[in-house]
Amino acid sequence: MAAHAQAIPVSKKAGLSRRDLLTAAFMFLVGAIVLLLGRYGDQPADRAIFTDEVMGTLFSLPSQATLYVIGSVCLFLAGARLYRGAHSVELVVVWGVIFLAAFGFLVWMTSGTKLNLTGMVRDTLTYATPLTLGAMAGIFCERSGVFNIAIEGMMLAGAFTAVGAASLFDNLWVGVLVASLTGGLMAVLHAILSIKYKVDQIISGTVINILASGATRFLNIRLLEPAGLSTPGHFDPIAIPILSKIPVLGPMLFINQPIVYIMLGLLVVVNYVIFATPWGLRMRACGEHPRAADTVGVHVNRTRYISVIIGGLIAGIGGAYFSLGQVGTFEDNMTGGQGFVALAAMIFGRWNPTGAFMAALLFGFADALQVKMQILEPLLPFVNAPIPPEFLQTVPYVLTIVVLAGVVGRAIPPAAGGKPYEKQ
Amino acid sequence: MAELKLRQRIGTLPRWAKLALLAALVALVVLLSKWLVLILLIVMGLWPIVLLAILGVVVPSWIPRLSSGFRWALTAVWEALLAALVYAAMKASIGLWPIFALAFGGMLLLIFTKLRGMIVPFLAVVTALIIGAVVIMVTDQAVYQALREGGIVEALKVAVANVTQAYGALYVGALGDPLKILNGIGEWLSGEGTKALVTSLRGPSDSLVQSVPYIFAGLAVALGFRAGLFNIGVEGQIGIGWMAAVVVGFSVPGLPAIILLPLAMVTGAVAAGLWASIAGFLKARTGAHEVITTIMLNYISYRLMAWLLCGPLEFTQGTCRTQDVVPAAYLPRFLNHPVTLHWGFFLALLAALVVGWYLFRTTWGFELRAVGANPNAARYGGMKVGRTFVVTMFLSGCLAGLSGVSQGLGITHNIALGFQSGYGFDSIALALLGKSHPAGVVAASILFGVLRAGASRMQSIAGVPTEIVQIIQAMVIIFIAAPAIIQTIYRLRQVKREEAQVVFSRGWGA
Repeated sequence: MAAHAQAIPVSKKAGLSRRDLLTAAFMFLVGAIVLLLGRYGDQPADRAIFTDEVMGTLFSLPSQATLYVIGSVCLFLAGARLYRGAHSVELVVVWGVIFLAAFGFLVWMTSGTKLNLTGMVRDTLTYATPLTLGAMAGIFCERSGVFNIAIEGMMLAGAFTAVGAASLFDNLWVGVLVASLTGGLMAVLHAILSIKYKVDQIISGTVINILASGATRFLNIRLLEPAGLSTPGHFDPIAIPILSKIPVLGPMLFINQPIVYIMLGLLVVVNYVIFATPWGLRMRACGEHPRAADTVGVHVNRTRYISVIIGGLIAGIGGAYFSLGQVGTFEDNMTGGQGFVALAAMIFGRWNPTGAFMAALLFGFADALQVKMQILEPLLPFVNAPIPPEFLQTVPYVLTIVVLAGVVGRAIPPAAGGKPYEKQ
Repeated sequence: MAELKLRQRIGTLPRWAKLALLAALVALVVLLSKWLVLILLIVMGLWPIVLLAILGVVVPSWIPRLSSGFRWALTAVWEALLAALVYAAMKASIGLWPIFALAFGGMLLLIFTKLRGMIVPFLAVVTALIIGAVVIMVTDQAVYQALREGGIVEALKVAVANVTQAYGALYVGALGDPLKILNGIGEWLSGEGTKALVTSLRGPSDSLVQSVPYIFAGLAVALGFRAGLFNIGVEGQIGIGWMAAVVVGFSVPGLPAIILLPLAMVTGAVAAGLWASIAGFLKARTGAHEVITTIMLNYISYRLMAWLLCGPLEFTQGTCRTQDVVPAAYLPRFLNHPVTLHWGFFLALLAALVVGWYLFRTTWGFELRAVGANPNAARYGGMKVGRTFVVTMFLSGCLAGLSGVSQGLGITHNIALGFQSGYGFDSIALALLGKSHPAGVVAASILFGVLRAGASRMQSIAGVPTEIVQIIQAMVIIFIAAPAIIQTIYRLRQVKREEAQVVFSRGWGA
């Protein structure tokens, strides 16, 4: 708020706000980078070949020409942003530029060689899954007015119990269920502390993060490993019968980890619940103006309890993804900060499940790109060296900062977030 | 009264005289530092005896209508009894249990009569330790074995024995074995050198060493909280400061310590401060929330360091570790091995003093707190809110950087991949526990340092993973943050007090 109060009046006079300028500058920079990559990083004759596991070559593009086109479109959009200050389609334009640039990068990387496009899309979706689940957990909490920086802890706890339960019952689905319940249990702690005892919600979240990190490691050494319960195996991709036969789209979207389908299903359900049901409306009211909600008969604290716990249940599923979806065992702090990235995705997506999903996809794409890059090792123009993989790993973080600073700077959180509600 | 008079007299002195006095004081502390540290560590290690001795002097004066001669007689008798108990413990191998029991009783007496504000924190720690004990018991495979073979009584015996062993190791690891310290003092006094004494002081020293990075990092978060900024990026800033200091420490080897050491420290602090002020700048200019930007900066710094440490800065192929700094850049230690306590501890205390002074005695500190309490009011009052954000983030980052600097120059002397040791996230807890007050942060840091130092011994002797400490820490925070739980468990009367609440955080978008 600090800046807006100062920035907005100035911008009114100039016709363009500082944010408009920043966004345009960002898009301009992106476009310029893409053009430079095309000019100096590619040979005119090179083609980027995109393949599919089933169909073989899908399509091939002349990489230099493609990069020129993409770069020009980015520049054009940047100019349009300056000219019109097009507020109504702002988000679409920005996301468009981001995804275009991402695709351009992919083309540059693939130029002169082949890339498994379906695999890439699938990886992106897979990496985005825990982020989306975590972000949805956060949305449930925060839309009802309770901050949640404990997504990490809830996911970690879920990842841990998933392994134990799945090995004990020799059934991965039991593992997912127990993981979800564990996340819910951590959420109960969060809810009791922050709603009943009115503990600062950031403290409460920090407690859960510390507790989860300590307890899972402790119990892993003391219980799971001695009892031989630490290797339940992991989920294999499931092909959905008819849909997976669709060319290209089938292998991309319908041969995936079961948790990916759960995530996609939840995405629809959560969107519906929050934005299309009376309960969702009441819940959002609790997060925006609890006094008003109370006046019309909504039980504010009860609603908050329910939302926080639902959030925890979702985060738990996200936790199961880490242990049962990927490696099939528990490792210390295996969530590795993804809970915080999920938080970023939530804010990036403006407390909206779909937006959060888009953000998660972007982060997932950067992850997938980074993995592929270590195989293809394209040489950067000018320095003639491959990009260190660590640099690419920073892309989602840098991008978040850039976009947050320029574009989503005015993300408006639920108004009553962080404040315990007391009846009068 | 005398103190007040002294204060007033110092107050009337001219500024240069005050500065000279301060310099003399500092010089005195530096000259005597070795002995001060020795005494500090002995007091820590022998806290039950020291506490009882002090009580012997203080308690008689609380009793009303008592002639002063009688008071002195009471004190004398008490101290004689104490000396006899200590002597018995040393010679007759009855152990120190009576002294510990008395000291615990004395502590309860003190807390419940004179330090009522300490009741909740004290009970919180005790309760957390009890919960930790229960967790150790129910996760102990030996207990289950005993349960199968010998029934419930046998199992309980094993459980209690194992917990006693574990907590005993925790205590010795954190505060040393009082008997060994006493014997060490005996040897020293009888002219056999200080070797045994120094060896026995390892525990207290380890605790203080562990608390050094905690103090800096806790102060960093606390300073941010005071301005309504949630600096969650301390972990990354620690790494930046650590690395910058180490790089300076080995890349200009020719300089004398008096230049190189401060240079390395300042570089580390400033590097971390600049890194952190990116978040402050973004918040001031664009409103980007610092929680998110600092988290992102954390991950960027991890990747950056992974690249640097396994790439350009790697010294021996395959180790992902830099070369060691030159000895001139070491933070000096006070005593011989195994007492690793270094100057960082006093610098940390100094930092706490400076932060307290800055927050409560300077205009900038007032501005900082005003912005933290209500940024809109502060802006209306003509304060530069944006500038405060940037400056605060810079200072917070400097403190976090010093946390890494103290580790890099005081303990490891290099930096390796995987240096992150959770100081960053624990520091949030520290700031909360210390209510964002420098003195509180120092106390909380020493508590965490004690737990952390003891935990490693507990792991090696009793086989209890060090992570139990995190569980205990989490419990302590819960009980202190929600005192109602403790008050319910122990049926304490609710103390209705209007406390000035520190604003920890505000909306993500604010």
